[in-house]
Amino acid sequence: MSIALKVQGLSVSVVGKQILKGLDLEVPYGEIHAMMGPNGSGKSTLCHVLTGKSGYEVSGQAFLNGTDLFSLDVDERARLGLLQSFQYPTQVPGVRLEEFLMEATDEAGVDPDEATARIEAVAERFNMVDFLKRSLNTDLSGGEKKRSEIFQMAVLRPRMALLDEIDSGLDIDAVRQVAEEVDEMRSPDLGVLMITHYSRILRYVTPDRIHIMIDGKIVDSGGAELADELESGGYDAVRDRLGLPKAMAAEKTLKPADFFTETPFDV
Amino acid sequence: MKAAYEVFEALSEPTGVEEDWRYVEFSTPFSGLKPVSTPGNPLDSGPFLAALGTNSGHVRIIDGLVIEAESSEASVSRLSSLPDPPTSDRPIPVDHNKLTAAHAAFSNDGVLIDVPPNSVMSSPLVIEVQGVTPDSATFPHVIVRVGENAEALVLVVYRSAEGERLLMVPEIDLRVGDGARLRYLTVQGVDHAATLVVHQRVTLGRDATSRVGEVGLGAKLGRLDLRVDLVGDGSSSEVVGLYFGEGDQTLDYRIVIDHHGKSTSSDVFLKGAVEDDAQSVFTGLLRIERDAQKTSTFETNRNLVLSENAKAHSVPNLEILCDDVVCGHASSVGPLEEDHLYYLQSRGLNKSRAGRLLIRGFFQEVIDRLPIEGLEGPVSEEIFSRFVSAQEEGRVA
Repeated sequence: MSIALKVQGLSVSVVGKQILKGLDLEVPYGEIHAMMGPNGSGKSTLCHVLTGKSGYEVSGQAFLNGTDLFSLDVDERARLGLLQSFQYPTQVPGVRLEEFLMEATDEAGVDPDEATARIEAVAERFNMVDFLKRSLNTDLSGGEKKRSEIFQMAVLRPRMALLDEIDSGLDIDAVRQVAEEVDEMRSPDLGVLMITHYSRILRYVTPDRIHIMIDGKIVDSGGAELADELESGGYDAVRDRLGLPKAMAAEKTLKPADFFTETPFDV
Repeated sequence: MKAAYEVFEALSEPTGVEEDWRYVEFSTPFSGLKPVSTPGNPLDSGPFLAALGTNSGHVRIIDGLVIEAESSEASVSRLSSLPDPPTSDRPIPVDHNKLTAAHAAFSNDGVLIDVPPNSVMSSPLVIEVQGVTPDSATFPHVIVRVGENAEALVLVVYRSAEGERLLMVPEIDLRVGDGARLRYLTVQGVDHAATLVVHQRVTLGRDATSRVGEVGLGAKLGRLDLRVDLVGDGSSSEVVGLYFGEGDQTLDYRIVIDHHGKSTSSDVFLKGAVEDDAQSVFTGLLRIERDAQKTSTFETNRNLVLSENAKAHSVPNLEILCDDVVCGHASSVGPLEEDHLYYLQSRGLNKSRAGRLLIRGFFQEVIDRLPIEGLEGPVSEEIFSRFVSAQEEGRVA
């Protein structure tokens, strides 16, 4: 089984504060992995660093299909097949979704006629036809933004997808919808890393493996039983089992999305 | 005319110290320029008019003198042939500045366009205003009177002879009658050696509507001094504009929207970019007079500064003299947004391609709102090709 994403000894700091502390991870092609962890554990940082956002001090290595990611620019990583679905997709007024996807598919070497056909077909399937003429992520609800991200993924056909909290800020029907869409994309040519804070999305998409990240490290990996444990006992149960210190209140950094988990709320 | 000449003599040329001329260098002194009594050879119509389908009339003003004036849907007269041209009640004070005084003193021709009440223009009346004689100072004058409940479409295209230093000081007087609607678009494409200072006034009657658009591309100094007076109750005004400055251009917008009538509304929406050593200026005053209750007004000015030496000045202002109103303004000056670039790059677009898409998107919002249809393509292409050349020549990232 070949490996889509391989991360070795990844440590990351932001303005002197260490966020990731020696992380190892392998996501094989054909599999969906879930990465779960409390707020502030470093899940989103992992996505940003792999995608290539600036402002991080990085040591360690990451490979996409065997190619060293950290020697590449953001766009080069994307052209290699990496795609991050953003937790808060940026609004880009004036740039229409369809126009953007034509540019992105062209950049990926897809013939324009084929790209047009693909965009139309996927838009039909995702019920996104009305969104094609709209500006990117502009005037969309929280749920629509996430669906637009997954739609782009279906059109661009990445080899490795990083899905950063595609379930946060959504009501339960929308969570089911995006989860089913992700599950439908399961393919031997695609690896998926699904970052989530809550286990509820796992009711609708079954990961091949679940990783639990606490304090910048993966502390446990396993199957569906880990999700069950979290569902009943929360992260404290995992900490107890593994003999890790309990989270101190002061360490916990809440983000606005945590207060409005059922509301399409953007920060 | 003598009075105007005396005002002209008494006023000095703008130095850039005056509040109304801050940031701007007026570098085309009158002393080196001459008036024109015989118009030079007209230029061709340029790339923009070719894209427009049909028109309902055609006026050509060359070096301030009218050489063609016909329309199938409006009555068009040469000002110089009228015994009593309606220029005495001009809405622009002679002593507004030295240039308006010069206009009052030296303007010797122009057109009066009367759009009959209750008529609806089927396609735009095109006015080409060109400066062609080297070292000339010319003063085209245009009056449009839109009759009650009529609907008028007017497109003005400014051009000037390649590489020639000259000064054009047009006055545009747009009077929109009760219940009438005016859609008016300017494409300012004079040569980069020319100075163009336009004084434009819109006066709106009861329930009248104007949609005024501006595409600012040309001139060494291209200045639009625009004032909209919402005199009639229930009148509304929209001003949309875009500009792209390159080289050492200055594109200068001075806009005053003055609400006099009750329940009036207005919106100003201007977006521009500057690169190389170019600069842009926007000062926008929204003024709401004492009796203009139930007024709503907004202005937006967004600027992209694409090169280190380029500058954009954006100064929105509100002056509100009554209490039951809704108003606001938004203004920004900065480079292409890093967040936007990052998002597009994360989907595989290289940085320069992402920049080109963002430039298109930035201007598309304005292009979609231009009051006359048909020029979207060439306007968009012109802006885009300026940005691409700037990228290729390394002036922008």
